[in-house]
Amino acid sequence: MELTVTDIQRFCMHDGPGVRTTVFLKGCGMRCQWCHNPETQKGKPELLFYAQKCILCGACAAVCPNRVHTVEDGNHMLLRDKCKNCGACASVCPTKALEISGTKYSSEELLSIVERDRPFFGNAGGVTLSGGEPFLQKDGAIELLRLCRLHGLNTAVETCGYFDPDVLNAAVPYTNLFLWDIKDTDSARHQKYTGVPNEPILNNLERANRLGARIRLRCILVNGVNTDDIHYRRVAELANRLSNCEGVELIPYHAYGGSKATFLGRPDNGKNEWIPTANQLGTAKQILFDQGVKVL
Amino acid sequence: MLFYTPNRMTRPIRLSEKTRQFAYDSLNHKYGIETREHNAVSLDEIDIEIYQKMSPLMRYDTAIFQIVSKAPLRICDGERISGAATLGLAIDHRVPATYGGVKIFSSVSHLTVDFETVVKKGINHIRKEAEISLEKHRGTEKEDFLKSCLHCLNCFDIWHKRYLDALADRPEYRANYENLKRVPMEPAASFYEAVQSIWFTFAFLRLCGNWPGIGRIDCLLGEYLKNDLQKGIVTLDEAREILAHFFIKGCEWVAGGDYVSGDAQHYQNILLGGIDENGCDVTNEVTYLVLDILEELGISDFPTSVRLNQNTDEKLLRRVAEVMRYGGGMLAVYNEDKVIEALQKDGYELSEARRFANDGCWEVQVPGKTFFMYLPFDSLHILQKNTLNGYEAGVDYPTFESLYQRYIADLKRAVEALVQVRVEKCNTRNEKGEWVWESLTPCTVISLFERGCIEKGCSYFEGGPIYNIISPHIGGLADTVNSLYAIKKLVFEEQRLTLPEFMRVLKNDWEGEEPLRQYVLTHYSYYGNDNEEVDRLAARLLDDFADICAELNGKCGYRFPAGVSTFGRQLEWIPQRASSPHGRKKGEILAGNSSPTPGTDREGATAIIRSYCNADLSRLTTGAALDLKLLPSAVEGEDGLSALMALMRGFVILGGFFMQLDVADVSVLRDAQEHPEDYQTLSVRVSGWNARFVTLSREWQNMIIEQTER
Repeated sequence: MELTVTDIQRFCMHDGPGVRTTVFLKGCGMRCQWCHNPETQKGKPELLFYAQKCILCGACAAVCPNRVHTVEDGNHMLLRDKCKNCGACASVCPTKALEISGTKYSSEELLSIVERDRPFFGNAGGVTLSGGEPFLQKDGAIELLRLCRLHGLNTAVETCGYFDPDVLNAAVPYTNLFLWDIKDTDSARHQKYTGVPNEPILNNLERANRLGARIRLRCILVNGVNTDDIHYRRVAELANRLSNCEGVELIPYHAYGGSKATFLGRPDNGKNEWIPTANQLGTAKQILFDQGVKVL
Repeated sequence: MLFYTPNRMTRPIRLSEKTRQFAYDSLNHKYGIETREHNAVSLDEIDIEIYQKMSPLMRYDTAIFQIVSKAPLRICDGERISGAATLGLAIDHRVPATYGGVKIFSSVSHLTVDFETVVKKGINHIRKEAEISLEKHRGTEKEDFLKSCLHCLNCFDIWHKRYLDALADRPEYRANYENLKRVPMEPAASFYEAVQSIWFTFAFLRLCGNWPGIGRIDCLLGEYLKNDLQKGIVTLDEAREILAHFFIKGCEWVAGGDYVSGDAQHYQNILLGGIDENGCDVTNEVTYLVLDILEELGISDFPTSVRLNQNTDEKLLRRVAEVMRYGGGMLAVYNEDKVIEALQKDGYELSEARRFANDGCWEVQVPGKTFFMYLPFDSLHILQKNTLNGYEAGVDYPTFESLYQRYIADLKRAVEALVQVRVEKCNTRNEKGEWVWESLTPCTVISLFERGCIEKGCSYFEGGPIYNIISPHIGGLADTVNSLYAIKKLVFEEQRLTLPEFMRVLKNDWEGEEPLRQYVLTHYSYYGNDNEEVDRLAARLLDDFADICAELNGKCGYRFPAGVSTFGRQLEWIPQRASSPHGRKKGEILAGNSSPTPGTDREGATAIIRSYCNADLSRLTTGAALDLKLLPSAVEGEDGLSALMALMRGFVILGGFFMQLDVADVSVLRDAQEHPEDYQTLSVRVSGWNARFVTLSREWQNMIIEQTER
């Protein structure tokens, strides 16, 4: 089973318990305005261009069959419309200023990569599937989770919750922990900022809960978007309603993921005004705490 | 009164205000400045004609007598244990004695002496052994050395007596006086006496110019503390105070030095934990007290290592991680499973291998029984200068294998030549052509504390100790491996250019070839990224190097076990190094010890450890050190603790040897360069030693920053 992967990061400390290897799968059904990993949105491989690494050697222009690259007068221009993401330019670019995001791996290959750090995992650590939305590549993701469990590796899935509900029957038994994003409990706002309503996500969450999934909720705090008390209370209600919820992680928005969009030739989507204040974070923590929710 | 931390965590407080003040004052140079006012004793009173007729040993004995009689005594405010090494030349690694203003003798370092006999049997026991040996060797050429032994023991008495007299005059030091009365001459009877016994002997050795390591302090002191706690003679808090004074007094040389490679480089290493000769875990209350003290005071002068194994208690591992988080490089770890395996492979009995400590730096040895010396060399220079003939025209090899074989032949020649020079310096051949020891610099004081010397009647330098080790140390490992790998890929596999063409590029220091250089830098995955292909090359090179060393054994009284190190020599090697095939220009700072070339490791800490552990490190008997720097933010909170513990656990499981984990922040280090006054106590791990960052020369500071920036 093949999976399209944007990145594999080892020695991750914040993607679940203990030391973990995180596999980022490409493709997501949501389009959050603040997305930190925009290269994981589309399912197909895409060309990334890091302008600051370019030494204007022209190697890309020489090999590109579609004339995407022009290097002249100290400038490197890309005509992305013409790009077929063939990767010819990336393979000759000496500085890796050009790179194809989205590499195919078989689930067995991925297993052997995550196996490498087993000596560091101890009792708590293991593998985390992230993305993107891992369950958009549902067959591959489930196969990888199954293989990992079969080999005694702890598994976690970082999910936005927006996926085919049928996935859960197969996925829950192979997943030790779900890190479940709740972007917003207000459906209209959810639609506005992420492109989709939140009901399918909440339905999936209920379903996962019924199937016995162990869940940690992760809530991004975006100033001026979801930093209101009603939202925090609804998150608390949600956490309390789940039968096997470890608690809630509050993740303050930060702007430094924004520039990643520029590598795809899109405008920078980072906004400093989205960064929540320490007070807002404190209030959120307090409300959750008052409702008896463990803040992780 | 704040002791530096690299992150937002504040250090816990367990010690009394008085002891903390003593630590603070000592770290801030209250003591030791005066060592430069009386650098050395002078033998000028001796008439020149008489002096010229004196043997080196006679001169040495006279110097030691002058030292113990005339060295100023220092009693610090509120100190709980007494004795101090107060002559400045000792800080320069010299016997602090001059004749006509000229320094007479060098001194001894890179060893951990036999403190076990000192504490448990006392100096008078050593004296008896020397008397017995003298009777046995009367009328032989060994008589002079053994008489010198007894003379130096008498000198030790003189110095001891001077301290007792000085303390007796000061009623506030009554407890010190009472405690010093019996030790170190007699066996210690209590924990307090045992600490004083080790300290006073250590101070005496250092007074005479030597730099010994301490070794396994929890082994030495554990039983005493256990007994005293049971009898109610001492409380745990009281014991921590006493032991803290040992650590505080250990930074007495901070102020007196003139440093390039840092101020705490006096090879006074300490080991904690691990198993004893019977395989039982030695970890005890003293182990945890030492960790408490390091955590609270941040004193880095006794670089401390913990012996870990597959069964290390979770409680100890966690405590080690907690202390490590405060940075300063105060704690490093050995995987004792690997070290013991290595020593056994080199021929040591299992029980003896289990007793290992280090040489005061991180090279492994059996303490109190070992003459140790290492011979560092630059393996990259051999590749560039010999195998690739300085990149001159005409260099060509038909296959990568033929190039590699030629390199191993060049390496073998270089190692043999290095060893030959060293051995000839210490040995001569007799009429039968066999190597025999030749007496060198006198070193009686250190010889008293190395088993074998008194029995054989031979000094430390003359084959006295039971084990005599000269260890060739390969330096530039990662860069040599990466260079070979780059040539293999670029020339022989991808055939992007011919070897002669590549030699021209390197001869011109990559001039006009920036795209090619960038390709080589970014497209190949070098040592430190868990890339099996390059890691196998490293493993093969180390195996071949260990074979070269093993073949040297049996030709003379030394053994020649292999090791890996640079200890910062990557700086002094810069001028001799040309540009490197793995994309490095002339003049760049390259890899240290067994660590990756700065800037090449992209896969993170676990990948570095895996690359390092890929080789069979049990063949590198005296050690192979991995330096790992982590950001303060990476070690904060419970996650940070888990991360450190995971790294240590993986390091042991994968078969590592020695790992120096340090927590440092590049921006802080840069700020310290600009505002040294604000960072007087910021300490960093250099290699086998720690240093207050601001006492390093600019070049050394830059090297640390470069390593940290990875």
